[in-house]
Amino acid sequence: MTVVDAPPPRLPVRPRPSAEPARGGVSPMLTRLAAERATGALIREHGTLYLAEGRVVHAESPLTPGLDVLLTAHGTLKAEVWHNAVARADERHGAARLLLSGGHLAEGALELCHLGALYDAAYFALAPSSTPGRFRCGIAHRLGPVLPVAVADLEREVLRRRELLRRIWPDARPDSAPLVRTHATAAPGLTLRQRTLLERIDGTRTATDLARELGRQAFHTLVDIRRLAAAGLVAPRDAPGPAGDGETPAFAEQSAYTTDPHITLLKRLRDALEAL
Amino acid sequence: MPGIDECLLEAMRLPGARGAALVDWVSGLALGTVGESPGGDPETTAAEAAELARLAAEHGAFASAEGPDGERPPVEDVIVSNRDSYHLLRFVDTSFDSSVFLHLWLNRTEGNLALARIRLGEMAERLVLG
Repeated sequence: MTVVDAPPPRLPVRPRPSAEPARGGVSPMLTRLAAERATGALIREHGTLYLAEGRVVHAESPLTPGLDVLLTAHGTLKAEVWHNAVARADERHGAARLLLSGGHLAEGALELCHLGALYDAAYFALAPSSTPGRFRCGIAHRLGPVLPVAVADLEREVLRRRELLRRIWPDARPDSAPLVRTHATAAPGLTLRQRTLLERIDGTRTATDLARELGRQAFHTLVDIRRLAAAGLVAPRDAPGPAGDGETPAFAEQSAYTTDPHITLLKRLRDALEAL
Repeated sequence: MPGIDECLLEAMRLPGARGAALVDWVSGLALGTVGESPGGDPETTAAEAAELARLAAEHGAFASAEGPDGERPPVEDVIVSNRDSYHLLRFVDTSFDSSVFLHLWLNRTEGNLALARIRLGEMAERLVLG
């Protein structure tokens, strides 16, 4: 009797969805601009970094609440005070200086809030993108310098933050999709911040919307969202069907509620495995 | 009005101070560091201190009896002592949403924990109120 010893075919391997660039940098262009001590704005798909002599002085992203939102949402600054400072800012006196000299804000408070907003926006601005970045030389932000951050420090922090989120829950879809609650009642053991977040999840809002509404940093909101996803309380809403199929968010939310808990667990497990 | 660096340098003038940092406890990012850090790596120290601060801030057992009001940190300080040093974490109460604390590392023989706790509280307040 002959034994046919044919090796089984190799299992197919999907390419990793977001292959990390070569070790070290998140953006080779940014690294080069830092080395050249460039001044200007690096415009990327998900945000803009402002550089002054090779250091990052400000960052903005459409996915994060700006410094203005963080400072006005809880009443630290009145909106008109902010607008006034931005309108009066010129090359010599940035809006930040005007706010400080006008006595509207303590220096420590401004530095703290600004650094928070800078790292927050940079996390999204330096996310893997599908289009190349553009650099516009000599552009300065109206805010003016507060506390500049070295490019290498910023890049290291962005990589650390990616890893932090991945460790909490490896599926990145809840970061950008509209979110639904998967249980009608909040589980015990949630923090007050998570509870506030959970109450606002309604099948239409994304993490960015929630961060802006609550005046919280978007990355901090992602940390809470991923923790809620890991606990099985929140899931990304499934991609909507073809336009005009009449599925309302309320329906999507309801269908998420009525799903068999075993099935949701298996789905979450599958998503987590796929995201690994 | 002091900025972050001035605040940390002031903390370093306390007797027995070895190192000070301002850390965000959600992300584990050090927004500023001065002096030494245990093990020599300020980033690792910041991440580990952030983990401790987060546990203290998030567990109801450590919150004040008045109950949380949502905007303010539920905990004032976290104190850790070992055979040769003290670690003092002081939560910073800001009028905007944030999650930061001051971390002071004190030499046990020269440090005065009671004094440091009072002073660090005052520094945390001055940092954000001017």
